[in-house]
Amino acid sequence: MDLRGKQIIVTGGARGLGRAMVDKLVSLECHVAVFDIDAAGLAALQATHRAIQCVVCDVSNYEQVSAATKKFFADGGAADVLINNAGILYSEPLVKFTDDGLKLHNPEQWDRVLRTNLSSVFYMTVAVVEKMITTRTKGVVVNIGSVSAAGNPGASAYSAAKAGVHALTRAWATELGPMGIRVIAIAPGFMDTDSARAATSEPALRETIKRVPLRRLGKVDEVAAAAVAAIENEFFNGKVFELDGGLIV
Amino acid sequence: MGTNLEELLAELLQIPVTKVTADLAMKDLDVWDSLKHMELIATLEQRFELQFSFDEIVSMRSVGDIKRVLSSKGVAA
Repeated sequence: MDLRGKQIIVTGGARGLGRAMVDKLVSLECHVAVFDIDAAGLAALQATHRAIQCVVCDVSNYEQVSAATKKFFADGGAADVLINNAGILYSEPLVKFTDDGLKLHNPEQWDRVLRTNLSSVFYMTVAVVEKMITTRTKGVVVNIGSVSAAGNPGASAYSAAKAGVHALTRAWATELGPMGIRVIAIAPGFMDTDSARAATSEPALRETIKRVPLRRLGKVDEVAAAAVAAIENEFFNGKVFELDGGLIV
Repeated sequence: MGTNLEELLAELLQIPVTKVTADLAMKDLDVWDSLKHMELIATLEQRFELQFSFDEIVSMRSVGDIKRVLSSKGVAA
């Protein structure tokens, strides 16, 4: 797929990994629309990339996604590619020993993480794929998964959500392939982002880096480049592209 | 893959070619579900080198419907 001129929706594109993808796609002369809950972040993004479309939307909320995508398409928006990038990092052990006894994983946090990282992927994809099919657009859905899908101790909700994202990738690739729609996933390993540094202690980060043969965290530009390569390659489908520096799990 | 439409559909739907009549419809065969329908559409598009519109895809609910749409696109099946 030649990306020049293609219409691309990126969720969570206001900062971090999503922002890197927006920057990359704009440099490739794509028409980019960003769905993000962060209105201020979108405003800052728009100041840099005036031609992009910004949609304030909480993609973890089905009603918001349904309304926002309906309006987006009714106003002439289109989607050759959907990049489901929005997500939140969260770590909490299933059980934790405290001075007051066992502390159990917060069920509200479980729900929040699953909604933001997994349900959002379903909500956006079903809305965008409907448009792709009715317009016979041979599009691409890119899901941002994670190496944590293998089961990261201390991150049950995040691991479960990302495992779900990988499973959706494979299921949807099979369902939608005959329609000419590809579904792929990129699974970053440990990346150097503000959210990752905020969610992980310095000692834990150092230990993590020891497990990467390249002895460093990944860069968001590297994930953006991987996503572009996977989109451009028209035979890449239904698979998860692990980008982790050779991480030893 | 069969050389005519009936043979092509019989192979896709895994039924004897004698059962592929004009009135055979999606509702008559469990195997002809949405996933199979998408596969059928993709196969027809490849076989006859054409592309169906979304409306045409939705309208093709029976063998007779398929023949009608193909005929409208200049394909004698």
